[in-house]
Amino acid sequence: MWAYVFRKLIYNVPVYLTIVLLVMAALRVHDPVYSYLGKNAKPEDIVKYRELVGLDQPFLVQYTRFLTTFDLGTESWDQRGRTVGEILRTSVGPSLAITVPALLLTTLISICVGIISSYYRGRLVDRTLVVMAVLGMSVSFLVYIILGQYFGAYVLNRSLGRELFAIEGYEPGLANWTHYCLLPVLISVIVGMGYDTRYYRAVMVEESQRDYIVTALAKGASKRKVMFVHMLKNAMIPIVTRVAISLPFLIMGSILLESFFGIPGMGRTLIAAVRVKDFPVVQAFTAIFALVYIFTIILTDVLYALFDPRVRLS
Amino acid sequence: MIKRIWKLRSTRKFFSNRLAVMALLIVAGYLAIALGTSVFGLVDLDATFARVGPKNVSGFFRVQEPEKQVEDVEYIFNRVDSALRRRDPKQALAEIQFGPQRLIDASPEEIKAIVERGWSYFDQLAESDDLNQDRAALPVIEQLKQTEQSLFAPLTSGQRWEQRINLVLGTDAQGRSIALRAIYSIEVAIKIGLVVAFFSVLIGSLLGTAAGFYGGWVDHAVTWAFTTFSSIPSLVLLVLLAYMFTGSTFEGTLFPMYIAFSATYWIGPCRVIRGETLKLRELEYVQAATALGYSRPYIVVRHILPNASHLMLINFSLLFIAAIKGEVILTYLGLGIKNGTSWGIMIEQSRPEVINGFFWQIGTATVLMFGLVLAFNILSDALQDAFDPKHV
Repeated sequence: MWAYVFRKLIYNVPVYLTIVLLVMAALRVHDPVYSYLGKNAKPEDIVKYRELVGLDQPFLVQYTRFLTTFDLGTESWDQRGRTVGEILRTSVGPSLAITVPALLLTTLISICVGIISSYYRGRLVDRTLVVMAVLGMSVSFLVYIILGQYFGAYVLNRSLGRELFAIEGYEPGLANWTHYCLLPVLISVIVGMGYDTRYYRAVMVEESQRDYIVTALAKGASKRKVMFVHMLKNAMIPIVTRVAISLPFLIMGSILLESFFGIPGMGRTLIAAVRVKDFPVVQAFTAIFALVYIFTIILTDVLYALFDPRVRLS
Repeated sequence: MIKRIWKLRSTRKFFSNRLAVMALLIVAGYLAIALGTSVFGLVDLDATFARVGPKNVSGFFRVQEPEKQVEDVEYIFNRVDSALRRRDPKQALAEIQFGPQRLIDASPEEIKAIVERGWSYFDQLAESDDLNQDRAALPVIEQLKQTEQSLFAPLTSGQRWEQRINLVLGTDAQGRSIALRAIYSIEVAIKIGLVVAFFSVLIGSLLGTAAGFYGGWVDHAVTWAFTTFSSIPSLVLLVLLAYMFTGSTFEGTLFPMYIAFSATYWIGPCRVIRGETLKLRELEYVQAATALGYSRPYIVVRHILPNASHLMLINFSLLFIAAIKGEVILTYLGLGIKNGTSWGIMIEQSRPEVINGFFWQIGTATVLMFGLVLAFNILSDALQDAFDPKHV
């Protein structure tokens, strides 16, 4: 097992090196200093900024320096006095407060709905659920957020007379979590459910036609037991795949939710940095997003091998 | 060729699906509108920027609350007043235009008299605390509106229809016609969808078939390329690519979006088609073609590509949706179209309106987008059912 993990890690090293290369190259297509300072920049300022982030050095030197330090010690151009590392440290918490509950809730609810749908396959319950999923998938994420914020925060607060969900903002701590994060998490769950339910239903339907299900039923196991014990266990591989696939969507969703609800997470920081062309933050954050994502991919592969030992050998 | 495709069992299966045919018709309708705006100039971009009335007028000519009616009239009087204060009032008055509506051809003094009369009604209304509840104010508002009407030249019946179409779905915060903007946005969405889906599928299937069929270093290179690209979360990659164009002449146009989406979305078709090619390569008819001495490019074009074409079709349909939805998100993040018209811009600009309880703009954009995306969702499902039934 550990040999497999090690092999996966080694395999992804060149992939990551290329990603960093791509990111750094893409950010240098237009001179970052020039686009930050604008057309009327003083020459001495340009030189100063260039030296600050090491743009005056050869690309290879910048590349190795970035790979070893991620430029975490560099000062942000926009937020004076804060280094990239500090910004990263403060923004990880809020991001996790949204993405982790959203992922867990979406997956759990969708699997349950998927099982229900496949249990009643072809009947009214199943058809209604499938139609609802397709309808839900056809509306833009942004519309969900705008309307969710309006009805979940403005209208609800007005009718209750007190502020149940915050319209925007964030404060750390578990006690504040429902106030600030529950509404974004719920919106994210509703959006994700359309896609996930359909997929899990298809998985369950396919799994329910396998021979072992027939065998189990023939041996007298109850339909419910077959569904939850036999089938769910064997459906673990597609479920794990799905969770891994939905991770980037989760990051994307969190970028939108964070910037809309004013939650100072990683996504919002990245977008804000892109808007003001804060080069050190953009560079470090994209590289870190990719790093996190690669680790989730490795984790998926490892989980595969755990659930299905045959994978390890191929 | 067409006859052969028509005779396929899968094609039959697809067309026997009534829902799929309906979806196809809806897509055709959208395409026709897009063609109408881009080729025949049904709606031009300038028309979507032109002011056609007061701000946030409700759609379907719904009668507004008295307070909003007064506010709308006040806006028009203010506009005329500021024109009268210009150095050349005659010229400024002639420039006032709401859609086809223009002011009457009268001297500035006469118009000034009408406006003065209008303001006197406002003085009467100022005494009322709540216009929406005050019944006594209603006749005054009626007179006020008549005064406003007397400012404008009568419309011909054609112009009246034009203005009706302009106002059928209301106006946005800047008094622009929501109907025209939404219709023009169809063209933008179709453009983005077609270009992105076409190029992604093209790049994906070229690389995919090459990798699958030739194997060896080509396969290694392609696999490595899509592993690398897919290891960056797609939105982060999109943001990065869109950022690349900030400050260039292309910033704010559709071009960076085409590049960003195509560079992100080619991975899906590439992976699928590579897998299919690997499978097809081992089949008897391909082996037979090799044994008969046909060249490899010929085998790819004659045997591999046609047999993987259903996957291209399905992926095209899926990526079309992804591109349209992606446009909205990138536009909201400030990396998409600027100074243009699109559903993304409409939804993004409707945020403050929604807070004030005005849903016409977000509603129109959402409903139109919903129709197109839903049709494509149904289409992709039907295509998958008909051509690739084993797929989960």
